[in-house]
Amino acid sequence: MKPDPGHFLGVMAGHLMTRTAPALPEAYEQSTVGILGLMLISVGEEFERAASRRVEENRELRRLFAEAAPAVEDAELRARLEAAAAGSDEDLAISALEASNSVLRVLLIELHAHVEELDSDAARGVEQAIWRELVASTERRRLAMGPF
Amino acid sequence: MPEAQDVRVENLERIFGGASRETYRFTLVWCAAGETQSRPLILRRDPPGSLIDTDRAVEFGAYQAFHGTGVPVPEPLWLEEDSSWLDHPFFVMEQLTGFEASPQALMAPPYSDHADKLAQQKWAILGEISRADPKQLGLEAVMEPVAVDVCWQRELAHWESEIDRAELCPQPVIRAAIRWLRRTPPPPAQKLSVVHADFRTGNFLCDSDGVIHAILDWEMAHLGDPLEDLAWGLNPIWCWAKDGRVGGLASREDAIRIWEEASGLRAEPDALHWWEVFSSVKGQAIWVSGAQEFTAGKNQDPILALSAWLMGNSQDRAVLHALGHLP
Repeated sequence: MKPDPGHFLGVMAGHLMTRTAPALPEAYEQSTVGILGLMLISVGEEFERAASRRVEENRELRRLFAEAAPAVEDAELRARLEAAAAGSDEDLAISALEASNSVLRVLLIELHAHVEELDSDAARGVEQAIWRELVASTERRRLAMGPF
Repeated sequence: MPEAQDVRVENLERIFGGASRETYRFTLVWCAAGETQSRPLILRRDPPGSLIDTDRAVEFGAYQAFHGTGVPVPEPLWLEEDSSWLDHPFFVMEQLTGFEASPQALMAPPYSDHADKLAQQKWAILGEISRADPKQLGLEAVMEPVAVDVCWQRELAHWESEIDRAELCPQPVIRAAIRWLRRTPPPPAQKLSVVHADFRTGNFLCDSDGVIHAILDWEMAHLGDPLEDLAWGLNPIWCWAKDGRVGGLASREDAIRIWEEASGLRAEPDALHWWEVFSSVKGQAIWVSGAQEFTAGKNQDPILALSAWLMGNSQDRAVLHALGHLP
């Protein structure tokens, strides 16, 4: 698919911000078109990594669940963690990856809340692993134009 | 304006003015006592959907309360809550012309040459807001009072419910922060204050000599713990200069010192830390809400989508930083 979508979006963003927006009569419309340009840049950034970051994250979450399961005292939760850990992504469409990612992240929230209440070294280890994954997941989603 | 005749609106133009209300500038022209008169004004109209759903009477009441005090605000003129005139409720206030609010503009000359001066005024004005007596200002009539020991509970419950309502995907970082906030509540507020609730660089008007002429965007104002406002302004997502200066203007230490001197209050570090973590929960609730409005088609202004993408991720980074998990 040529030109590359990311390249195309970058060029169009430049057009919008440097040619189209200044030619508009009202400040609000100029700003709106400028924002559209910024959106296209971000879309281009996300387009390139959209599948890889989701595949990576889903893999990391399943690995985390497998490692965390023995420390979990709630048998029902432990069983769901083990079932999730045994899963995989067969469909690599972004919508499918996003759907499985959401299921896994809901389970991550539940696991996190559970181990916070446990008083054991194993629970503390799981908690630390969760925080590492939360940092990693935030970095995976980072956009270059983000303010922080 | 009972004496006005031949009233008309000229030069009506929409401008950016916060994402929760549509903002228009216009010139009101009328005849009185045989003479044509005019005045530049601002119209703030409720949109069909927004980043946050707020009561325009609260915002209008805040402008009324502070107009003519040491906290500079535009003069509020008329509040109309009947939707039959402009499809949605609205209010009209004085337009202050020739000033700048954009954070991007303020980070560049000539404004950036006056960063210290702007910081001194910005945090001192916030101190004045914090020091003010809501009852004396008459604001208890439009803002619900709350006991000083449960300010945090009310605000946390409100913004958590907003995330519950609007989230389109799981928020594990913010959910962890909410649990932390509940496990480690802050001490009671030192006093019940007016909380502007969006006090940051970008929400004040200044001139090119670095003089602040108005504090804007009171749409989320409420009564509560004054540390809520201080913490919001310290949030790293507002570090527009990307050099660690809070609000792109001053060091964190200077901002706190100026606020403490002006307010007569103390920013106890543990309590301030709680409100800083809270500020990211609130911030994420706002970005999540905007994303939901856009996705549902209630308001498809692209600023809602851009905010959700850029600010949402930065907000997660900010809370990870505040909780010691990110440098």
